[in-house]
Amino acid sequence: MRFLRDTILLMNRALREAIRQPANEIGNAFIPLFFYAVTVGAVGDVAREAFGVSDYKGFQLPVAILQGAAGVAGGAGLAMTLDIQSGYFEKLLLTSTPRLAIVGGRMLADGVKSVILCTLIVAMALAFGSGFETGPVGMVALVLSGGVFALCYSGIGVAIALKTGSPQAAQAGFLLFFPLLFLAPTFAPLDVFATWLEVIARANPVTYILEGMRALVTGGWQWGSLLKGSAAILGMGVVTWTMTAMALRGRAAGG
Amino acid sequence: MAAIVARALVKHFSQEIKAVDGIDLDIPEGQVFGFLGQNGSGKTTTVRMLTTLLKPTSGSAEVGGVDVLAHPERIRRSVGVAMQEVGLDEVQTGRELLTLQARLFDVPGPVARTRAGNLLDVVGLAGDADRPLKGYSGGMKRRLDLACALIHEPRIVFLDEPTTGLDPITREAMWRYVEDLNKGGVTFFLTTQYLEEADRLCDDIAIMDRGQIVAKGSPEALKSSIGTDAITLGLGSAEDAGLAEPLLRRFEGVDSLQVQGAQVILYLKNGAAAVAPLVLALAEANVKVEDLRLRQATLDDVFLRATGHHLETGDQGQGRL
Ligand SMILES: Nc1ncnc2c1ncn2[C@@H]1O[C@H](COP(=O)(O)OP(=O)(O)OP(=O)(O)O)[C@@H](O)[C@H]1O
Ligand SMILES: [Mg+2]
Repeated sequence: MRFLRDTILLMNRALREAIRQPANEIGNAFIPLFFYAVTVGAVGDVAREAFGVSDYKGFQLPVAILQGAAGVAGGAGLAMTLDIQSGYFEKLLLTSTPRLAIVGGRMLADGVKSVILCTLIVAMALAFGSGFETGPVGMVALVLSGGVFALCYSGIGVAIALKTGSPQAAQAGFLLFFPLLFLAPTFAPLDVFATWLEVIARANPVTYILEGMRALVTGGWQWGSLLKGSAAILGMGVVTWTMTAMALRGRAAGG
Repeated sequence: MAAIVARALVKHFSQEIKAVDGIDLDIPEGQVFGFLGQNGSGKTTTVRMLTTLLKPTSGSAEVGGVDVLAHPERIRRSVGVAMQEVGLDEVQTGRELLTLQARLFDVPGPVARTRAGNLLDVVGLAGDADRPLKGYSGGMKRRLDLACALIHEPRIVFLDEPTTGLDPITREAMWRYVEDLNKGGVTFFLTTQYLEEADRLCDDIAIMDRGQIVAKGSPEALKSSIGTDAITLGLGSAEDAGLAEPLLRRFEGVDSLQVQGAQVILYLKNGAAAVAPLVLALAEANVKVEDLRLRQATLDDVFLRATGHHLETGDQGQGRL
């Protein structure tokens, strides 16, 4: 109970910060929207003939969602390093709040920011003319899964931040995502991939997240894909949250 | 009951860096305890161990009757801490930061808001309470940091160099907060590089040197332990000082003495009575006296004797005599 309450108090603080320093968030919003528009503009018309995708605008929507969510999810780690450097993190450690709330608040703020951004992205895709097979319920599911993905992904940056205290390292953690994003059916479906790339992509959790989200947009309620996608997100969450909890214990233990 | 107890407390960061090297503390409840020492002597490291931020290499400590290793979370609930470097979030306003701080100590919302308002008043920040900290001056941040340490009404408060870098007026105000709270029974553990601060505020002090406590007691007891008066003799050269030392050491009434280059400081009970015979004796021995000053012994003298050097402070060079 206390954990939840304090997490929300600290999340509010992180969100206030985002509102007062919006430059980062504007950048985070611009990148996925820009890439979406450009990719759809460049490949959209030939996608049907090239790899049999009829609704390329819908096909690209989950890519923008993941890109946006991942960008937002770099926030918690970076902000955590600044808290460590300013000494505010130590002040938080000296309160009687559950320590997981200190990182939980930041990560949850990333989740909330991601939900807002994903809503924007969906709205823009619809305005571009993307279809959406599962309708409003699916849209809510997609936006929420973007939030959960950010909540999970931000653990990487936070863990690195707690481990190193270095803003550079925490940002490098975010870059980790980019190869993963492109070793997946990002621009084209898996069946047009060269074999070696397909093998790699099948081992990449992002592939299943992407396919699950894509099912919502262009496929319909395909429970197999949706389950695999959810499992991939949660599996990633278990890994990153464990990393975060361990890094937190390391930093709070006071060598 | 003792507020703070430490036994053979040690923190070694490495083979060479023995930041705290076996200290014992017994600080009764309701005391203002001063921890004096120059840069790197181990003050902050001690505070960090006592406030559960740092695990001791060995030894034990209890704060408010609670073992720091066994129940750190219980200690955090009952102590207030203002670290040497203010750790604040510059994007929040003073009121937001202070209210959040109270909430994180489990103070209910309405109480937290009232208390934050009152405390902002006490530290003279009521007018700036709703501005982000970015626009605060160094002294304002320090005062807010102090308020953060007090918001949950702790019984034991650690202040690590709370007045370093403050102007005299703010420093005086800070001293008064400490005195007022202390009257209400709050125990303070205060580190400082200012002898005047220790003398004015502290019931007891400990002098740290290279990780060890080299002198301990009330300021009065420490001062009288080296004699109540001090005579500073400026001699022609360090050589002269060396030559005169045995003679001065045997001189009637001298409790102890300290040679610093061409300067010799004598500590004695009745300085005024000793001046004339002293000058005569030195003249007889053919030692030329260039300067002679009689004054009361200060904590700096105590410090000098305990550590062999003056208390050098970061922002004012050599400690004064
Ligand atoms: N985390 C650390 N790792 C390694 N050495 C450290 C660490 N923290 C402190 N030290 C060393 O321990 C010694 C004592 O440092 P400490 O900060 O306790 O001194 P201090 O008395 O507070 O000094 P100051 O008056 O400058 O604040 C110093 O030599 C310092 O360099
Ligand atoms: Mg210090």
